[in-house]
This record gives sequence, structure tokens and C-alpha cells, in this order.
Amino acid sequence: MHIDNSQPLEYSTQQNQLNILGFWIFLGAEIMLFATLFTAYFTLADRAGSGPTSAEIFEITPVLIETFVLLTSSFTIGLGVHAMRLGRKNAMMAFFGITLLLGLGFLVTEILEFMTYYHEGATYQTSAFTSALMTTLGTHGGHVTLGLFWGTFIILQVKKRGLTPGTANKAFIFSLYWHFLDVVWIFIFSFIYLKGMM
Amino acid sequence: MEFFERFAIPNPSPAIYASMVAIALVSIGIVVGLTYFKKWGYLWREWLTTVDHKKIGIMYLVSALLMLFRGGADAIMMRAQLAVPDNKLFDAQHYNEIFTTHGVVMIIFMAMPFIFAFMNLVVPLQIGARDVAFPRLNAISFWLFFAGAMLFNISFVIGGSPDAGWTSYFPLAGNDFSESVGTNYYMLAIQISGIGSLMTGINMCTTILKMRAPGMTLMKMPMFTWSAFIANVIIVFAFPVLTVALIMGTTDRLFGTQFFTTDNGGMDMLWANFFWVWGHPEVYILILPAFGIYSEIIATFSRRNLYGYTSMVASMVLISLLSFLVWTHHFFTMGQGALTNSIFSITTMAIAVPTGVKIFNWLFTMWKGKIRFTVPMLYSVAFIPLFTIGGVTGVMLAMSAADYQYHNTMFLVAHFHNTIIPGVVFAMLAGLTYYWPKFFGFMLNEKLGKVTFWLLTVGFVLAFFPMYITGLDGQARRMYTYSESTGFGPLNMLSFVGAALMAIGFVVIVYNVYYSFKNSSRDIGSDPWDARSLEWATHTPVPEYNFARTPQISSSESFWDAKKNGHVLFKGELEEIHMPNNSGVPFILGIIFFVAGFSFIFGLWVPAIIALIGVFICLGLRSFELDHGHHISVKEIKETEEKLGGAK
Amino acid sequence: MKELFPAKQVMGFVASLVLTVVALLVYYTDMSFTVGMTILLATAFIQAFLQLVVFMHAGESKDGNSIYTNILYAVFIAVVTVFGSLLILLWDM
Repeated sequence: MHIDNSQPLEYSTQQNQLNILGFWIFLGAEIMLFATLFTAYFTLADRAGSGPTSAEIFEITPVLIETFVLLTSSFTIGLGVHAMRLGRKNAMMAFFGITLLLGLGFLVTEILEFMTYYHEGATYQTSAFTSALMTTLGTHGGHVTLGLFWGTFIILQVKKRGLTPGTANKAFIFSLYWHFLDVVWIFIFSFIYLKGMM
Repeated sequence: MEFFERFAIPNPSPAIYASMVAIALVSIGIVVGLTYFKKWGYLWREWLTTVDHKKIGIMYLVSALLMLFRGGADAIMMRAQLAVPDNKLFDAQHYNEIFTTHGVVMIIFMAMPFIFAFMNLVVPLQIGARDVAFPRLNAISFWLFFAGAMLFNISFVIGGSPDAGWTSYFPLAGNDFSESVGTNYYMLAIQISGIGSLMTGINMCTTILKMRAPGMTLMKMPMFTWSAFIANVIIVFAFPVLTVALIMGTTDRLFGTQFFTTDNGGMDMLWANFFWVWGHPEVYILILPAFGIYSEIIATFSRRNLYGYTSMVASMVLISLLSFLVWTHHFFTMGQGALTNSIFSITTMAIAVPTGVKIFNWLFTMWKGKIRFTVPMLYSVAFIPLFTIGGVTGVMLAMSAADYQYHNTMFLVAHFHNTIIPGVVFAMLAGLTYYWPKFFGFMLNEKLGKVTFWLLTVGFVLAFFPMYITGLDGQARRMYTYSESTGFGPLNMLSFVGAALMAIGFVVIVYNVYYSFKNSSRDIGSDPWDARSLEWATHTPVPEYNFARTPQISSSESFWDAKKNGHVLFKGELEEIHMPNNSGVPFILGIIFFVAGFSFIFGLWVPAIIALIGVFICLGLRSFELDHGHHISVKEIKETEEKLGGAK
Repeated sequence: MKELFPAKQVMGFVASLVLTVVALLVYYTDMSFTVGMTILLATAFIQAFLQLVVFMHAGESKDGNSIYTNILYAVFIAVVTVFGSLLILLWDM
């Protein structure tokens, strides 16, 4: 395996570069995945049948918490990648750890939000609006959940093997995933919640 | 015992019972045969765990050919039923099951694997690479396709076949009107296969962007590779839409969501909308690699380079973009307003333009060329007029106001078969004949190939052109019968004769393979067609590592330049070659997804969840895995090259 | 310690916070639907662009052009899908 030392570790081998480009292309596909979910949501947002509407169930508090927590976690993982490029393994693991904790905080808030909806009669099966809402939020939340496991596995590997082209590549790709989830949240925050509460 | 009732066929027939017996016997036969000939180890080592793009390509090819016969059997059954008025060969229920499986099998389980076969076999060789960017992901793509195909194919003997058409519109496809598990099979089998397709999209795009041999800029790539690249770009952006639509269809049926229901706010048209947002790009995914194969073949057998390289590339890029802008033309008649229909009419007519550019470029390539009418060239030459006719009927359909007359009549059926058969199927058969010697070491018999060609061409025209007329006369699509007084009888009988000719043509292909295997010379060299592009610069059979040395590229036809103009393709010292290791995980994942799919279809929640956990365990293990592949030593390369006929 | 908090990342974070607060104005103040939607569209796309370029380092490698083309393509097709579908199913039904 030929290592190019003029590049950051995560780009330093041919396979590493393939992995990063491949993941960006995957993110292109994910943009279409979420675009389809958003299309369904926008089409069905006002079709609440006899169930609760968006104006009736959306609350600003959990949304604010989720947004600032996720946004901060995007910042901390950016700091983590920067630390990694400086070769600061412990700082990197600390920032990644904080990121995952913030992600967990996001998830807990979202689960509580869903439980509230259920108590208000807005369930997965209630109406087209609720099905679309929960599928969109749930897909994003499912991605975050997967991310918590994936991120933990990477921290464990960095702990055990140190910063190598392999571990740096994985950590960088994970950071792309995590940033992307924040980008999706920006659209959820703006066009599902805020628009629904205008 | 009650538990097993769910697997019973809701609408059995003698043919279905016979099929159950046949499937059981064949499965047992395969297991017994493998055991008796002690081939389990060979199967596992050489095929089930391979990550080699060439072997994966062959597995896709074999699967596609098997599925061609499954879909073809459906076709001949439909044509037989419609050959005479008031026919009682199949009742409405069985006819619905047949046309549904015909559509799904032919598009998802025959055409897609066929193009993936050629992409896998040819693209890495055409760009001078040793494999694709992600070999293990490539294997996973194949086994997910295989799992989806197996799942779909057992539907008609376990639980019941889907019967709502290959488009599976709601509310017909919902629980109220499709009570059997058939539509669950549809949703889950296509989903699993689709995930594999998306992975191939990412894999091929990365491979083509980053793994080309030195000197091969994008504008020096062979045309098939360009077509594969554009098709994979479309795959990356189209398949996620299908993924979401299928999830929503699945949750509506299994978990009571309200996406496509008729009350509680549901909108059935949303399914049709999403299906076609994917569905239209899908047909371009199929046709572009076919165009790529024609480009290779026409250039080779006109003994000329392809005319208009730049406009060929530009037209495909334009087609890929426009393919996402036309989808509503599949449902012009379903309730949206005139503004919408007008916009999509215009975009639909626009997409004919770049395709027209390509037709002219092929014609100009042949003009003043030294043409050899080999079997692949015959298919290519027939394609041009036949596909053009299909294309112009497409422009007729594109006019939304006129489409109210044509929609869902046999005119539409004639149009899409007129583009798909001369377009995709002929290209696949031409490609099969063209690339056969490279991957199997002998040529298919030319005479038998020509017999097949004429049977298929004449058969195709006889089968489908009458449908244009009966469609304009008012014969609807997806109707299991018609009365004598309609007058549709004679032309439908003609269609049946045409279909029978095509069936004979396909049987001749099988015989050709057998005959050629027994009789064809194995001494054909590595470039039997005197071809132009890099995949022919390899030995036959192609060694595991493809090229002993990475080729040096100077033009878009460096192999031809090396043969005719003294360009040096391979120079420098031999170096150790790094190759990926085999892995059993893709095959195991295929099994896990099959189990998950089957469990969801029948509402067996415990095995479904266990299987899904299995998927995540595989992902987790992969994360921690440290597999760096293996190295092929210079000594071994030298020995292999000597054996295959001298180092290149 | 200071080297762990590069200026670019910190400024990017602050900018994202500001954009989020601006978007929140749509909830906390009274404004017409059109103005509100314009603010939401602007803040969302600017923040997305920021994430892409500053945080995700989209342009930093030699594959930068491929990456930008890929994202541009994806966004274009996404926008066509969303607005095309809304036109077909809601606005022109």
C-alpha cells in the first residue's frame, strides 16, 4: 500500500481516496432519499384526516433543543477532524465522544417528542400527515442512531490502533455522514417545524 | 398447521402445482449433483465468495439469461391467451399474475442484471484497472440482486404471486384490493434488489472517476464506459426514490400507515408519482449501456472509429439530466392539470433530440466504413430502424392531449416493447455474442447466431407491430380477453405467431451455446474480432489481475493504435500486484436479506428482526475488520503470463 | 489549546447559529407567508452551503470538482422532484 505523506492521513492511500469519493456519491444518493421523504411530507402535510394537524402538535421547545444540540455536535466533530489532522489522538477522541453524547441527547429529546405526539393522538397510523412526519423524522433519527454505533466503533478503533491511514479515513468519512445529518436537520427544522408553526 | 396456511396459494392452478413440483425437483437435483460431484468446495471458493468483477459479471449474466426464460415463458402464455377471442387458457386472476411477473422479471431481474453483467465484465478492462473500486461491495450487490430475484420467483408457489401490474398502483396494491401476500413480495423483493443496484451505482461511478489507466482522460474513455458511467449516475439519483416509495408501500400494507390509502388523508396518486420519478430514469439506465454496446460493435465492424465522440458524450449527459424531467408522461391521464401536462410534454419531446443525434452518429460511423455483417453487427443494424420507429411512436405518446387516446392501449405496449426489444434486448444479445469469446474462450456459432437474429427480428415485428393497430382500434392493455365482435382476433393471432418465432429464436440461442461448447475451436486468440478498445488487449482467459502491467493510454483507441500504429501499450518492469481477498460475507448477507424479506412478507416478526440484527452485526464486524488483501508475486505473474501466451 | 479551535470552524459555527436564530424569527414574530418562506429558504440553503464547504471540506481534494458536480446534480434533481411533485399533485390538480 503506497502512502502519500504530503496528504492528510485520511487521503493518503489510493483506497482512502476511493472511499471518500464513494461516500460523497453515497451522500448524493441520500440527498435524493431525503428529497423523496420531504416530497411526501409536503404533499401530505395538510392531510391530517380526522387526526391532529401540525399546528396542533408542534412545540418549539424540543425543536430548539434538538437543533442547537445537533448543530453543536456538528461543530465538535469538525474540531475532532481538525485535531486528528494535527495528530492529536486524545483530543480527537474527546471531541468525537462529545459529539456522540450530544447526538444521544438529540435522540432522547426526539423520542420524548414522539411519545408526546402519541399521547396527543398523533400516531404513525393516524393520518397521512402523521405517517409522513414520523417516517421523515424517523428516517433521520434512524440515521443518527446508526451513527452513534458507527462513531463508537471508530473511537474504539482509534483507541486500539491509533491514528493510521485506515482509522483516519474512517473517522473523516464518519464526519461527512454526521455533517450531512445536520444539513438534513436544517431542512427539517425550517420546512417541517418552523413552516408548520408559522 | 394453521401457521402454514399463510403459505398456501390463494389462486392455484394445475400449472402452478406442476411448477411447485418442478422447482422442488430442480432444487433437489442441484443439491444432489453438487454433492455427488463433490463441487461444494469449488462452488464456495470460486463463485460464492468471489469478489472478482469478471466472475461477478458471469454470475449476473447467467442469472439474466435464466430470468429471460422465466419472463419469456410469461410472455408466450399471455400471447397464447390472447391469440383467439374469449380464450379460456387463463382466467383473469392468473393473467394478471402473469403480466405482473412478466414486467417485474424482465425489467428488474433480466434487463438490470444483463447490463450489470456487461458493466462488471467490461468496464474495469476498458479503463485498464484491476477491479472495481469496492470489490466486496460489488459482490454484495450481486447477492442482494440474487436474494431479491429468488424471493420474487418463489411468490407464485408460496403465498401467491403479485397481480397488480409491474407498476403496482395504489389503491389496487393496498390491503383492501390485494389481500394476498403477492404485493408484499413485490415491495420487498424489488427493495432488496434495488439496494444492490444503488451500491453498484456508487461503485461504478467511483471506479470510472478514479481508476482509469494513466493517460486516459474522461474524453479518451471508450464509449461503453461512458455509457456505463452515465447510467450509474442515473442509478445513484433515481434508486433512492424507489427505496422510499417501496418503504411507504410496505408500511401501508404491513403497519397501517396512510401514505397511499383512500382515507385519513392518504393520496394514492403519490405512489404513481414516486414510482415514475424512479421509473423513467430506470428505462434510461437500461438503454444507455445498450447504446454503449452498439457504439463498440458498430465501430469495430465498420472498421472505423466512432463518429462524433464529443456529441455522443454530450448527448448522454443531456439524456441523463432530461430523464429526470419527464416522468409525468407515464400518467398524463390521471387528473393533473393542463399546465403540468404541457410542461412534461415539452420535456418529453425534447429528450428525443439527443437520442436522434446518436442515431445519426452511428449511421455516419457506418458510412464509408468497411462493414462486416457478423451477428453482433446484424443486431446493431436492425436496431437502428426498429428503435427509431419505437422512438417516434414515443413522440406521438408525448403529446399529452393525444395520449388520452393511446394511454393504456396496446399502442403503448407496442411502443415500449419497440424500444426495449430492439434497444436493450438486441444489444444484450449482440454484446453476449461479441464478448463471449473473451470470457469463455470460444466463439458462438455464426450460422446459428444468424438464424436466431432473423427469428427474433421477424418474430418481433410480427408480434408487436399489429399491437400498434389494435391499440388504435381500442384494445386495452392488461385485459385477459376480448370478444369476437371487437375484431381484434386476427391481429392478435399474428402477434402470437410472432411470439412463437421469438420463442424458437431463444431456444436456438440455448442450442447455440451447447453446440458451440461442443464444437467451437478453442484456438481463437485474445482478439478474434480485430477490435479497437482496451478490453481486447488482455489474454483469453483474462487473468485474475487483468493486466500484468498497467496500460499506457494516448488516445481513445490505444489498443487499435498499438496494433496498427506502433503505440506501445505495456512497458516497464513487472511489479507485485495487490488484489482483494475473497469473502463469504456478501453471500451470507444475501441469505440474511432473503430471510428478512421472506419474514416481512409473511408477517413473521421475530425472524425478521433477528435477520435485521444480523445485517447490523455484519456491518459492525466489517467496521472492525482489518483485511488488506493479498499480493501476487512477480514470479507468479510471469508464470501466468507465460501460460497464457506471452507477457504483454 | 488555541490550535484545537481553528478560526474557520469557530466562525462557521457562529454563522450557523446566527442563521438559525434568523430562521427562528419566522416563529417568534409575525410575518406574511411569503416573507417567512423566503427567509427560511435563504437561511436553510446558506447554512447547508456553509456545512458543505467549511465543515465538510468538499473542495479540498483533487476530486473536488467531481464532488461539487455530484452535489449540484443531486440538489438540482431533488428540487425538480420536490417542486415537480407539488405541481403535479397539489398545485395543478
